[in-house]
Amino acid sequence: MNPLFSPALHQQRHQFVINFVKMKKPKMVADLGCNDCKLLKQLKFHREIELLVGVDINGDVIKKKMRGLAPLSANYLQPTCDQLCVELYQGSVTQRDARLRGFHLVTCIELIEHLTLTDLDHFTAVVFGYMTPLSVIISTPNSEYNALLPGLSGFRHRDHKFEWNRAEFRSWALKVCLKYSYKVEFTGVGEAPLGMQDSVGFCSQIGVFYRLEGCTGCNVLPFSDEEDVSPYTLLYSVKYPSLRDNNTLRRVLVSEVLYWAEQLKNRWMEEKSSDRNYNSTFSLTEERAEGFNPTHAAIEGWLAEGMDGPVGCCGTGDVDKCEEMLWRNSLKLESGTGSGYISIPLAVLWSCCPKVSELGGSLRNLRHLLMDEPHVNMSQDGAAVLVKYQEQDEEDDDAYLEDGEYSEASWCSHGVEPEEDWETV
Amino acid sequence: MTGRARARSRGRARGQETAAPGVSKASEPAPVPAPSAEAGLVGRGRQKRGPGPFTEEAALQISAGFQQMKLGERGGRRRDFHDTGINTRQVMEHVKDSKTGSSGAVINLTANYSRILSRPEWVLFQYHVDFKPVMDSRRLRSALLFQHEEVLGPARSFDGALLFLPHRLHNKETVVCSQTRNGENVQITITLTNELPPTSPVCIQFYNIIFRRILRILNMQQIGRNYYNPDDPLEISQHSLTIWPGYATTILRYESSIMMCMDVSHKVLRSETVLSFMANLERKCQGQNYHEMCEKELVGLIVLTKYNNKTYRIDGIAWDHTPINTFKKGSADISFKDYYKNQYALDIKDANQVLLVSHVKKMVITGDAPPGPAMLVPELCYLTGLTDKMRKDFTIMKDLSAHTRLNPDQREKRLTSFLSNIQRNAEAQTEMTKWGLSFDKQLLKLTGRVLGGERLFQGSQWYDYNPQTADWSREMRGLSVISSPPLNCWLLFHTKRNSSEAQSLLQSLNKVSAPLGIRMQRATVIEYEDHALTLLRALQHNVSPQIQMVVVILPNNNKDRYDTVKKYLCLDCPTPSQCVVGRTLSRPQALMTVATKIVLQMACKMGGELWSVEIPLKQLMIVGIDCYHDTTAGKRSIGALVASLNPTMSRWYSKCVLQHQGQEIMDGLKTALSGALKDYHKFNNCLPARIIVYRDGVGDGQLQSVVNYEVSQIMDCISWNCKPKLSVVVVKKRISSRFFTYFQDRLTNPPPGTVIDTEVTRPEWYDFYIVSQAVRSGSVSPTHYNVVYDTSGLKPDHMQRLTYKLCHMYYNWQGIIRVPAPCQYAHKLAFLVGQSIHKQPNAQLDDFLFYL
Repeated sequence: MNPLFSPALHQQRHQFVINFVKMKKPKMVADLGCNDCKLLKQLKFHREIELLVGVDINGDVIKKKMRGLAPLSANYLQPTCDQLCVELYQGSVTQRDARLRGFHLVTCIELIEHLTLTDLDHFTAVVFGYMTPLSVIISTPNSEYNALLPGLSGFRHRDHKFEWNRAEFRSWALKVCLKYSYKVEFTGVGEAPLGMQDSVGFCSQIGVFYRLEGCTGCNVLPFSDEEDVSPYTLLYSVKYPSLRDNNTLRRVLVSEVLYWAEQLKNRWMEEKSSDRNYNSTFSLTEERAEGFNPTHAAIEGWLAEGMDGPVGCCGTGDVDKCEEMLWRNSLKLESGTGSGYISIPLAVLWSCCPKVSELGGSLRNLRHLLMDEPHVNMSQDGAAVLVKYQEQDEEDDDAYLEDGEYSEASWCSHGVEPEEDWETV
Repeated sequence: MTGRARARSRGRARGQETAAPGVSKASEPAPVPAPSAEAGLVGRGRQKRGPGPFTEEAALQISAGFQQMKLGERGGRRRDFHDTGINTRQVMEHVKDSKTGSSGAVINLTANYSRILSRPEWVLFQYHVDFKPVMDSRRLRSALLFQHEEVLGPARSFDGALLFLPHRLHNKETVVCSQTRNGENVQITITLTNELPPTSPVCIQFYNIIFRRILRILNMQQIGRNYYNPDDPLEISQHSLTIWPGYATTILRYESSIMMCMDVSHKVLRSETVLSFMANLERKCQGQNYHEMCEKELVGLIVLTKYNNKTYRIDGIAWDHTPINTFKKGSADISFKDYYKNQYALDIKDANQVLLVSHVKKMVITGDAPPGPAMLVPELCYLTGLTDKMRKDFTIMKDLSAHTRLNPDQREKRLTSFLSNIQRNAEAQTEMTKWGLSFDKQLLKLTGRVLGGERLFQGSQWYDYNPQTADWSREMRGLSVISSPPLNCWLLFHTKRNSSEAQSLLQSLNKVSAPLGIRMQRATVIEYEDHALTLLRALQHNVSPQIQMVVVILPNNNKDRYDTVKKYLCLDCPTPSQCVVGRTLSRPQALMTVATKIVLQMACKMGGELWSVEIPLKQLMIVGIDCYHDTTAGKRSIGALVASLNPTMSRWYSKCVLQHQGQEIMDGLKTALSGALKDYHKFNNCLPARIIVYRDGVGDGQLQSVVNYEVSQIMDCISWNCKPKLSVVVVKKRISSRFFTYFQDRLTNPPPGTVIDTEVTRPEWYDFYIVSQAVRSGSVSPTHYNVVYDTSGLKPDHMQRLTYKLCHMYYNWQGIIRVPAPCQYAHKLAFLVGQSIHKQPNAQLDDFLFYL
């Protein structure tokens, strides 16, 4: 079979939906007749979608493919602010299910031609009258094109109950619009050969329906008292990790804070040791540092005032320099308790690492988030993170030599056997 | 001993946490630029050679059928990582009936295995499916066949020609009719061709596929060959590492039943993209040889992409490619940038980044053009695993092992909870029952034997060691070594900064050498300036042929200077040398210990013999082989061969060969083996009557090539000498088998000397496990020995004990090690050449352990 269309027709249909999503950015999308979830699999990459639902009458085919909709490793590794929940249902599009109401987009790709005309009426009532999504994309074969498909007699698929020409589709669509207050635009994918486009039309005809403003819910009301109908069976449901989830946010934030605290500590220690060696550079930086030298008290002051950090205190062009000075001068060794800690003010972390400030939202919030985190060691007043400070110490490589114990275990009592001859077999 | 030497000396078990070589499964079309000539080589793994001489007819039939079928959920054929279908045992008469040993005390063990329980009469039914008219498309064939679910039932697997069902269809031949989309009628004939017992390779593969499904049902993510749980990550924040706990599982036919071997696995991931890694590197390099550095750091790493769950190994960097470059998708050209934007809604922000190259291993259907390498965008790739640099970083490794090192108790708990999770999950259970399978809830219980400790001899004196610690550094104190050439003429190099360390080293060496029976004259002390070039000049100027030994105190861990010393003294001016990092000598309290280790090491580098164990075989030559795969320097692998030269196994012949492209490692080692035989003759005035080869460094799935190719090469090589008896033992350290034992009501590691040769071994092999080393923390990993060829007639018991004895003979460690000494020697040699020298060492050093 040499392909009639490139890319393949089904890909073109999916691409049509994706282009629509890119343009209109719907948040809740349902694919009716999702079959092997191919479209959903592509849609999940478009993170403006927050709820992605698939429905199909055939639960087995969903079950077989549903794991492909699970979050990727990367989604866990670096969660974003976007939220996404994927749900898959087994159910018939001729039945109402409250969980599918109020979506922004409902797609029915090559679905309606599989319904008998009676079912089609039910379907129309369910989708347009009950679910009342803001937009609906319906694609179906255009029977006028069939003459161009080589070797085809009858319908394109043996399960098709009908295949409409453009006029039939149009008249059905307009009736729907009239009844449920939608407007429709007609288009399609799979262009006919040059010169025949007008006479034949697209191979797959598509109707894009938009709910008319002002009529919101005018046909919803009769069902409002049976909100809880849910005949569909939930087969799969997964929530993508997101920074909007407090636990995830906390985890990522803590991890960033600890990482940067460690980095700053290392840099500080390096500086300190090289300062000893190169006094000249040190005095130079000291001089420059005079201009801006926030004390611990000053930082507390910002915290108290709820200011978003010290960055605002400098001219924007100076941010880098100011950060430099900030961290160099405000890190200090906390002594007193046996092993030393280095205190790294939150404000320093805040201004040095964009990711921390991005995640934290505000300095106050950052402090709040970190305060009751068991993995983060905070100073008493909560203004600084404490990081263990150790002189680079040698490990006890030679500890194995000091094992004086001779605790012979019972299973080891086996002695060495006398010399034997292995050669004789 | 220097820190570096220490890290190497015990052979680090690399890669247990790292992913398996990238993409072995068929994958969705990765962006593929024009096919390159090189790509033609991809995928022609060594394991694909025809069945070997040891394969019996019956096995041949099974494996032929096995090769025909394309199983696999993603439609691809998998590489056989488990070396199934290689039946080496049946040609070895003496182990046909029993391969178990007898000596040692019986010990009760728990192993990380679980039995697969299926109905007693369980078989898998294999059908041939015929379509009339013939349907070309495999997908269409599946679709047509699956229209008849009422006939087939819910559990089925079909590859386009072969159908597998867990039940028998009513008739031997079933005919059904389907209709294509075009309304064409197709007659499908399903004929029963085979009933496969649970032990057949096809069934085993089946179990593995079903189990993978179950792991996915448990919401685990596949990375490489293993599955990990992303919901419960361990964060090592200070190093920006994320660890996912997971499991490595394999279902195989073991000695007496089909079992699943499962081990805890940890995946190290980083939320850093390759792009930001490269940017950091560039900053650090400040423009100087950035390209070189970048390739050094990145090539060989495994990356995970943002848009699918696949891992790729970085094989190179395309410095002339950016995301703006295009590739062919279908008939049209599309840029990488546009492709990722359209396909995955991913915006590539940096359009100037260069691309990464990965040679995707993919089965090529005959007639199709071979796939080119995959091009990856650094911005869309996350790094996984550890770089070599990180491995060398002591603090990172310490923090990491705090999380990943599990003692036997913790490990067993994780494994049992894994089993019960499967048990509790309803969906997983449904999947299993559909095929009529279940798992044992318990870990396998079995018995092993603990071999007695060896007596160590040093000349006329002898001693036993504490069998629990498997270490005799204490016992050796004050005992003369067997022999050591007097050290009359030697040099000590140090920098100005380390002059006090040099003095204290000299004093300590003097103090410790006499009790060990090592005679030592005063060294000539030479100061050098801290620079690789000046150090080289100092060496060139001072090292003359009569110099027996060169000791260099290095100011730090910098590899350049170490490499300079080793290169010069192994290639240009063959002289044994010993490097020590100054810091090692700076602690007075450890100085004596360090000096003892150094003096012992110096002694064996000059041909000294330290200790021996009783080996009751005469005219024996032991050979050790290992290889080192250089990921950077032009990808030349290095093979090393070490062969014993005397009856006490205290002198060794060592040879290293650099593999040429497309050459088998054994081709080069053949000459090395001939050289070893000549040398043996020189030492003994006779040739060995028996040769036992320990072959390390055989990767998963490479056994076939060892069995088919290497064994015959070895035989070729030794046949001119009146046919000595030959045994070839494949040594494997990277295995997932673990054994535990109860000691005082606590689950602990089995003691050194534990041998396991039942239950968890493979019926088609003559194999056994030995736990030879003692570990101070974590779970000990046993070593697997597979005797693939054996005309020695040695009893299994003797083979096991000889192997264990050889684990005592590594002179760089006063204790028992994980592998027989010759393997470790070969490893050290290959490592030194691969890491530092990159050339074949001077032949004058062949009789010395200069690489320790």
